[in-house]
Amino acid sequence: MAKIVILGAGVAGHTAASFAAKWLGNEHEVIVVSPNSKWNWIPSNIWVGVGEMSKEEVTFDLAPVYAKTKANFKQAKALSINPEGSESNNSPFVTVEYTGQGKEGTTEDVAYDYLINATGPKLNFGATPGLGEGTNLGEHTVSVCTADHAIHASHELDKCIEKMKAGERQKFLIGTGHGMCTCQGAAFEYIFNIEHKLQERGVRDMADMTWISNESFLGDFGMGGLHFKMGGFVTSSKVFAESLYAERGMDWIIGAHVNKVESGMVTYETLDGAIDTQDFDFAMLIPPFAGVGMKAYSKDGSDITDTVFAPNGMMKVDADYSKATYADWEPSDWPKTLQSPAYKNIFAAGIAFAPPHPISKPMKSPNGTPITPTPPRTGMPSAMMGKAVISSIRDMINGAPEPTHTSCMAEMGAACVASAGKGMLSGTAAAMTVFPIVPDFKKYPGTGRDINGTTGEIGLAAHWVKHLLHHAFIWKAKLKPGWTLIPE
Amino acid sequence: MSEEVKVDKEHSHVQHVEPYTPQFGTMIPSSGQKFMRTCVIWQIIRFIAINIKMTTLILKSHH
Ligand SMILES: Cc1cc2nc3c(=O)[nH]c(=O)nc-3n(C[C@H](O)[C@H](O)[C@H](O)COP(=O)(O)OP(=O)(O)OC[C@H]3O[C@@H](n4cnc5c(N)ncnc54)[C@H](O)[C@@H]3O)c2cc1C
Repeated sequence: MAKIVILGAGVAGHTAASFAAKWLGNEHEVIVVSPNSKWNWIPSNIWVGVGEMSKEEVTFDLAPVYAKTKANFKQAKALSINPEGSESNNSPFVTVEYTGQGKEGTTEDVAYDYLINATGPKLNFGATPGLGEGTNLGEHTVSVCTADHAIHASHELDKCIEKMKAGERQKFLIGTGHGMCTCQGAAFEYIFNIEHKLQERGVRDMADMTWISNESFLGDFGMGGLHFKMGGFVTSSKVFAESLYAERGMDWIIGAHVNKVESGMVTYETLDGAIDTQDFDFAMLIPPFAGVGMKAYSKDGSDITDTVFAPNGMMKVDADYSKATYADWEPSDWPKTLQSPAYKNIFAAGIAFAPPHPISKPMKSPNGTPITPTPPRTGMPSAMMGKAVISSIRDMINGAPEPTHTSCMAEMGAACVASAGKGMLSGTAAAMTVFPIVPDFKKYPGTGRDINGTTGEIGLAAHWVKHLLHHAFIWKAKLKPGWTLIPE
Repeated sequence: MSEEVKVDKEHSHVQHVEPYTPQFGTMIPSSGQKFMRTCVIWQIIRFIAINIKMTTLILKSHH
């Protein structure tokens, strides 16, 4: 009997755990370790952040779902990995610390034969002075990264709306809170939802809305932008994104590293080296992401964190980490099997794996400040990675010498729907598909992407797709009848 | 006394743009384009098209 331990029950981890329980649960032991008792459909936090959805609509308890399967759920956070075991224990194990189930604070060594690290991001608010401390959000801005953050954001938004109704103009600042952020798409969706909400509440004319981000051009999205066919042209996402902001009368500041947040004001540096400030009454700034900070120890107890993890805390996998300059980057640098090169029974999926380099061209201000979006790992690729990794583990348990499945961001596409409003006839959305996620300028000269697989359009239809995805993915995650028919 | 200028329909949705601002340098959807974005019949067709596109993308991405 093999023991499969999955760290993290988010998009990648829960996908892996669901298939592990289905395929392997009868004969093998599947253990899921995650510090939160609830699963969260994070994309819909945006709707929570404008008061259109409740926390209950975007989260559910994990324990009853795993109880339906043969997976053993431990509400705990992983602290460290001993991939070779320890002097007193020959089996590899993970040390976890309970955060619930009545065992809060107690630690346990959980042995494994196969380990999947799907611990997602550490929300690194502490990287920007004033944005927060460590993983805790500060007092000056709001966030939509967790359902609880989004509830707080929605309350703050309501206060601003009341002020505007009373005749007080309000300044909104939405975007990224550091030069090395990813997840621009989430902030992009949030600013459009706020704008929509202000229109609905009849106070849009009382609001000054500004986008601030580390992208070198609007529509970079951490993917170096994308191109699609529109109105008889092959059009850049720069034009697409600028058009969306211009249509709604919103300003933008790009190429910006926010280096300080104070009450009602951010200080930022731009790619031309200028330092400037921007006032706000309401700001939602995405923090930079890092790995969750697990350690790794060898059998004799020495620290091998550097062998297993990259300096940003994300796990090293079968990527080529040697390419320093943009000119040298190749799609083949990106990992395929997501297996740790050091320990063949360890895999990483979703945001937890260390990318070989950004996708957007790295840029620095004349002062040497790096201002470059880090690569996004959105929901669809994260889920696909979770499924590919557990498929390989299933086959390795059954005798395959190597991983049998791949999930490479240079060979897969992503779909992204940014929707504003919730009404079936009043909402609107931008739907984008991109193939492949990592551009391949040799195969697709000029744009790096398949022009037929990369699309973008705006309208009610995209909004309906967002609703469909919300319900379909929550259905799937709850493992309700037919869940396997819903694609990742 | 200044005469009030009546803004025609084609300009009503771009009148917030100020010359020589970044917004002035990009495209703004026409009223026809905006109508199509909320025209239910056209959007039902687009809904089917987007679902086909996304399904194709998923099939191409699984290895
Ligand atoms: C506001 C917002 C909106 C978004 N909207 C979209 C969207 O519209 N479309 C889209 O495709 N993507 C979207 N994304 C991105 C998407 O949410 C991520 O790509 C996805 O969640 C990544 O999956 P993951 O499994 O890697 O990480 P997560 O889903 O974050 O899961 C990580 C899991 O690990 C657990 N964990 C953390 N630390 C530990 C530890 N020490 N030990 C064990 N477990 C741990 C966490 O509790 C969690 O269960 C959005 C992101 C945000 C923040």
